[in-house]
Amino acid sequence: MFNLTNLVQKAQQFIEPTLSIAGPTSSDRRPSKATLFRHQFRLPETQSPLQEITAELTLSPHHSTRGASGDVTSSEKERSQGNHYVGKLHLSEQFLCFSTQGSSFLNSASLSSSSSFTGQTHGAGPAGNGFTLPLCAIRRVERLHSQSYMFALAITTWNGSPDAKSKNAVPSGQKLTIQLAGSRQQCERFCDGLKKGLREGVRDVENLRVVVSQCYSEYLLADDTDDKKASGDEGKKAREHPDTGLGMVFKYPGNARKLRDATKIRLWREYLKENGRNGTLIRQPTFHKLIRVGLPNRLRGEIWELTSGSFFLRLQNPKLYTETLAKYSGRESLAIDEIEKDLNRSLPEYPGFQSEEGIGRLRRVLTAYSWTNEEVGYCQAMNIVVAALLIYMSEAQAFFLLSILCDRLLPGYYSTTMYGTLLDQRVFESLVEKTMPILWDHLVKSDVQLSVVSLPWFLSLYINSMPLIFAFRVLDVFFLEGPKVLFQIGLAILRINGEELLDASDDGTFISVLKSYFARLDESAHPKSENPKLRAVTRFQELMVVAFKEFAGITQNTISEQRAKHKDTVLSNIESFTKRTSIRNLGPESKRLSVNDLGFLYDRFYAVLYERQQRAEIMQHEADRQAKAGRAKATEVITGFSGKNVERGRVALGPSPTQMDYDAFREFLAGIAKWALTDSPSSPPEPNGSQSPHSYFGNSTRSRPPMSKWGSGPEPADHEFMRRLYRRWDTDMTDSLSLQNVVTGFAQVKGTKDIMSNISYFFELYDDDGDGRVDREGILRISEALLFLSRRGIGDQISPSHSITDFHSGGSPERSNRDEQFLSSISAFIRRCFEYADPDHPSNQGNQSLDQVKEGLDNFAIGTDDEDDLIDLKSDPATPVPSQTTGPTSPEHKHAKHPLSPVPSSEDPLAPTQSNTAESEPNGRTEKAKAANLALDPNKPLHITLPTFRMVILADEVLEQFFEVGFSSSFRLADAPLPSHASSSSNLTTFSNAGKQAAAATGGLGAGVVGGAGAGIVPPGKGLRGMLDNIVSDGMRVAAEVKRRMDEAQKEMDREARHGREEDEEEEEPPSARDRDLLEGAETADVDTSRGSAPDLLTPAAENGGSGVLEVNNTRNRSASDASRRVLEFER
Amino acid sequence: MADSGAQAQPKPSSSVKLVLLGEAAVGKSSLVMRFVNNDFQENKEPTIGAAFLTQKCNLPTRTIKFEIWDTAGQERFASLAPMYYRNAQAALVVYDITKPSSLTKAQHWVAELQRQASPGIVIALVGNKLDLASSNPNSGSSDGDDADAAPAAEGEEEGEEGEGDARRVPTKTAKAYADEEGLLFFETSAKTGLNVAEVFTAIANAIPETSLKGPRGVGGQTSLGRQEDARVNLVGGRTEGAKEGCAC
Repeated sequence: MFNLTNLVQKAQQFIEPTLSIAGPTSSDRRPSKATLFRHQFRLPETQSPLQEITAELTLSPHHSTRGASGDVTSSEKERSQGNHYVGKLHLSEQFLCFSTQGSSFLNSASLSSSSSFTGQTHGAGPAGNGFTLPLCAIRRVERLHSQSYMFALAITTWNGSPDAKSKNAVPSGQKLTIQLAGSRQQCERFCDGLKKGLREGVRDVENLRVVVSQCYSEYLLADDTDDKKASGDEGKKAREHPDTGLGMVFKYPGNARKLRDATKIRLWREYLKENGRNGTLIRQPTFHKLIRVGLPNRLRGEIWELTSGSFFLRLQNPKLYTETLAKYSGRESLAIDEIEKDLNRSLPEYPGFQSEEGIGRLRRVLTAYSWTNEEVGYCQAMNIVVAALLIYMSEAQAFFLLSILCDRLLPGYYSTTMYGTLLDQRVFESLVEKTMPILWDHLVKSDVQLSVVSLPWFLSLYINSMPLIFAFRVLDVFFLEGPKVLFQIGLAILRINGEELLDASDDGTFISVLKSYFARLDESAHPKSENPKLRAVTRFQELMVVAFKEFAGITQNTISEQRAKHKDTVLSNIESFTKRTSIRNLGPESKRLSVNDLGFLYDRFYAVLYERQQRAEIMQHEADRQAKAGRAKATEVITGFSGKNVERGRVALGPSPTQMDYDAFREFLAGIAKWALTDSPSSPPEPNGSQSPHSYFGNSTRSRPPMSKWGSGPEPADHEFMRRLYRRWDTDMTDSLSLQNVVTGFAQVKGTKDIMSNISYFFELYDDDGDGRVDREGILRISEALLFLSRRGIGDQISPSHSITDFHSGGSPERSNRDEQFLSSISAFIRRCFEYADPDHPSNQGNQSLDQVKEGLDNFAIGTDDEDDLIDLKSDPATPVPSQTTGPTSPEHKHAKHPLSPVPSSEDPLAPTQSNTAESEPNGRTEKAKAANLALDPNKPLHITLPTFRMVILADEVLEQFFEVGFSSSFRLADAPLPSHASSSSNLTTFSNAGKQAAAATGGLGAGVVGGAGAGIVPPGKGLRGMLDNIVSDGMRVAAEVKRRMDEAQKEMDREARHGREEDEEEEEPPSARDRDLLEGAETADVDTSRGSAPDLLTPAAENGGSGVLEVNNTRNRSASDASRRVLEFER
Repeated sequence: MADSGAQAQPKPSSSVKLVLLGEAAVGKSSLVMRFVNNDFQENKEPTIGAAFLTQKCNLPTRTIKFEIWDTAGQERFASLAPMYYRNAQAALVVYDITKPSSLTKAQHWVAELQRQASPGIVIALVGNKLDLASSNPNSGSSDGDDADAAPAAEGEEEGEEGEGDARRVPTKTAKAYADEEGLLFFETSAKTGLNVAEVFTAIANAIPETSLKGPRGVGGQTSLGRQEDARVNLVGGRTEGAKEGCAC
């Protein structure tokens, strides 16, 4: 298939085709075409190939182009007059392009077929012979009727001087004849397109006029015609000499006579006269030859502009440069600071840059560019390159050329990680290895690192390696032919100095050999030769010959292939360096974590960010994904980098997000702590975390679309505790976490083995206002958080030593025992808290009850409300709102009434705890219980202090243990990442987690990402695992059912509560009365009639003690652990 | 080159790879320029990638040939640095005494080197642009006869409170850090040449004999302590503050 199209194309190049194969093609169907097209003709990003047709270009003969050869010859013989070129005519939105280079925009723009222009170009550059005409530069198009079977167009271009018609020598605008080869229909269609484009093009004429007026060629030719008139006198029109760079004022480098500048100008004048200038230039072989011998000083800038395509950028938006400067004037940036540092040291030996004028120009160009491309900003070496450009170009010209350099010619060279530079060094090394194996072996043996020498060559385009005049000659060809030139020159340098380099055995000698070579570039290459002609050949000429003859095989395609080959290694090197550096720079806090842990956190952190970013992007572009991918591929053909949209986020490719929002944080935690996984991705309600993730996900069913919000990873839970953690870690109050924040956060949690500080930490998390007191609400939330954290196998957290083995040795009963223990511990915790709590200040109390009456707030949130409204200024106002919107399990949720309540819904399941806590008390302790119950009285607000909290924790062995090791070890970092078997034993949701975990742990960022994407939820049917999955989903169903019933009960309760509240003063009476009833030894089953069917479910767990809610949780846990137990049995 | 050492030269010579690291425009290249050519350029082109220079340094017992890798300072060039400090036996981490941020960056480099570079690398922390600190008590003291290593530099800095015009990094701060990390420490001025040769001499002295590789290094060990008198020459030569201590 490829071969076929290739053949067809080749045939088209040589044989005059009678039929055109390429009809108009829609650009979105083959998007890669557009990129290829733009790269070939150096067109701006906005252009796409609308039409194309095989055509023959006929130019009237001129003496200066007589020597034309190459593609031309075959047809030249047949025709009597003029130069004929067969190629393709393309039409884009604003351009009409013709090239003899096989453009390969045929049906399949693949690597192989595109190589016809990325391949050898015989010095003509990718665009070959032909033209790139802005449509606005075409003055008229006539249809010729010369030959009956031919569809011919005569194009008259705009050449700036409309009244030139009268002059005899100068053609009135140049005339091109183009014969279209195609069916009549195709030709008509092309012409229609052209007509439309021309009409549109009229709008751009003004731009063209502006841009062209700054071109030296206009001046040169106008000069010419006028000169003839005024017979060489100074009687020129008062035409201003266009800005041709600092060289105009400060002299161009090199000796003009030696460079034969005048001769070159004369030749160019002739060429331009006959072949059009600036916008209307036609590329014939002479054009390329003239470039090869070196451009004349004043024309250099303009030709660079034309061959690199920056001219077309400027044409599109001539004012961009001045506008950018104006827009950002007075603003500051890091880039500007960096630029300032280097202004005085950019080509300092050139007089122009010892002057304010030159430095000012340099400053403005670099600054303007840093604003238009903030990702790149400023990179050292740009100053040198731009300084060099400014010798020959105006500021605006240099500005646009710089952006072509950064975007197209030197991709990634100046990025913040300089991956392009590093990659091309790698490519260069591999080319040396290929083309000069002996030298390469020598380098390896003597441990000389080639890139140490060659890196500056590439980064500053040989400008500060070679004497300037020669560097500019290299640039002349570089802009015409593209990046491969840098490689060819580099290889030629090594080849020429091969002998000497083979004698060099260390970096020093190696470098000095090359240094002295560069210093002698102007000397004769064959000083001892008999042949005077040979003696006249300079070393530089020799270099050019070797570069472009001997290394003609190095094509753009070679480079692209090599880039693709080495890209991954280079990127991952950079990434590991970046990782190392950023981990090391995390500050003193990070020292509390092991290096492995830090590495793990780093990977995990960026993996989450990257995945999320990518997911968001893919979701966003789902529709035109294919098109995008295709385009990316085409870019890859040219640059060796795949498209930005696919690769973005890779650290090595440049700036990527470094801040994590709350959702990302949840996802992040989910990969680190078991409790952070949602319990039931398929069933909306969250038993403990009570904030339903449902509203977030739309339909979060098990058969989610491949691109769920969480990708293939597990769904994270959303619990108040996580939110608090997030807020706590967000020390900069930016509502986002940096890696620094996360590491510091972990350092606090995991870095300490001290139980006391762990307890304080936990306490502070719930001490919203930082007054050292946690109120009733907070106590409940703490207990709830403890449950949340422990709901998955607290057992193995408390005694990590035998965690895993336990499960495998059928330790399930033990485990459930531990769970029960924990539950009762927590209920004891609540009880004790209330027992030992201090009452709030009475006056405070009064306020509260007043408030309460006024606002009709519900019982349980009073304390918090008060604090939040009146006292707590510190609490982050942003967080409560999202929690409110994401939260409510049920619409009737009581807290919907408190928009300011910081954690509105999470305490629901615990709401009944109060009563139940009391209820669980043995009868004998009624008095105490009564006291505790008093404390429960919402009208008597209370709080606990840190010492109380500590005491309560330490009073219970299980809790003590939890704070000693359990909590911090619930975060699994590198030293003990969530192992797959451990997690599967506790809950099957973690299956997918395990996969993700492993992936993240193994592959660093890059691999982690790829792996994470692959490691999805294990598809059912995958043998054992599939079955396990089923069992788990059974467990989940049970859990969900429990939850559902609980919710019903809850709703019932709410309704009741509201009902009660409506009865004003009575409101506290019923609940406390009920409480007392319960305390008097009521059966669990009778807890509350309003609970509906919940008690049925609860009964089996009743003996565990603890409150109703705790029991529910327990039941749920058990059903889950039942399931896992079954799983384990299966595994065994 | 290796042979030249063997040519009946009394002192063995060994080459030492030295790398310069530090923030952009702190004067790395200028330090090298001063050391190698005894020259100073006000506007030195920024180093692209790295520059390579060599310079010999005569010690009493041996000659050290420094192979100096002068790296680019801009942040984004950092990822190229491993290429240059690979196998380096010595490093000069330079900061600008008028820019506190440059010391932070220097500290990062020190950490990077300690972890990534070859073990046993000799690191010198150098605060450059001392000429910008106006009240400079160092000016007279560099001709002290024994000013040949870290202790000497220490002496010079005494009494300096950082009240100099442009000085923003107090000597104490940097010195304390250097001591903590076990680095050589100097404050220099590439512009005036103050202390520049001392830095390199101190490094040369600090390079452990064992880490000198190659035949040249081995020779050095055998002739240890043979030429005590060379010391006098060395010290006397440094009065100019530049580089006579080190032959070109």
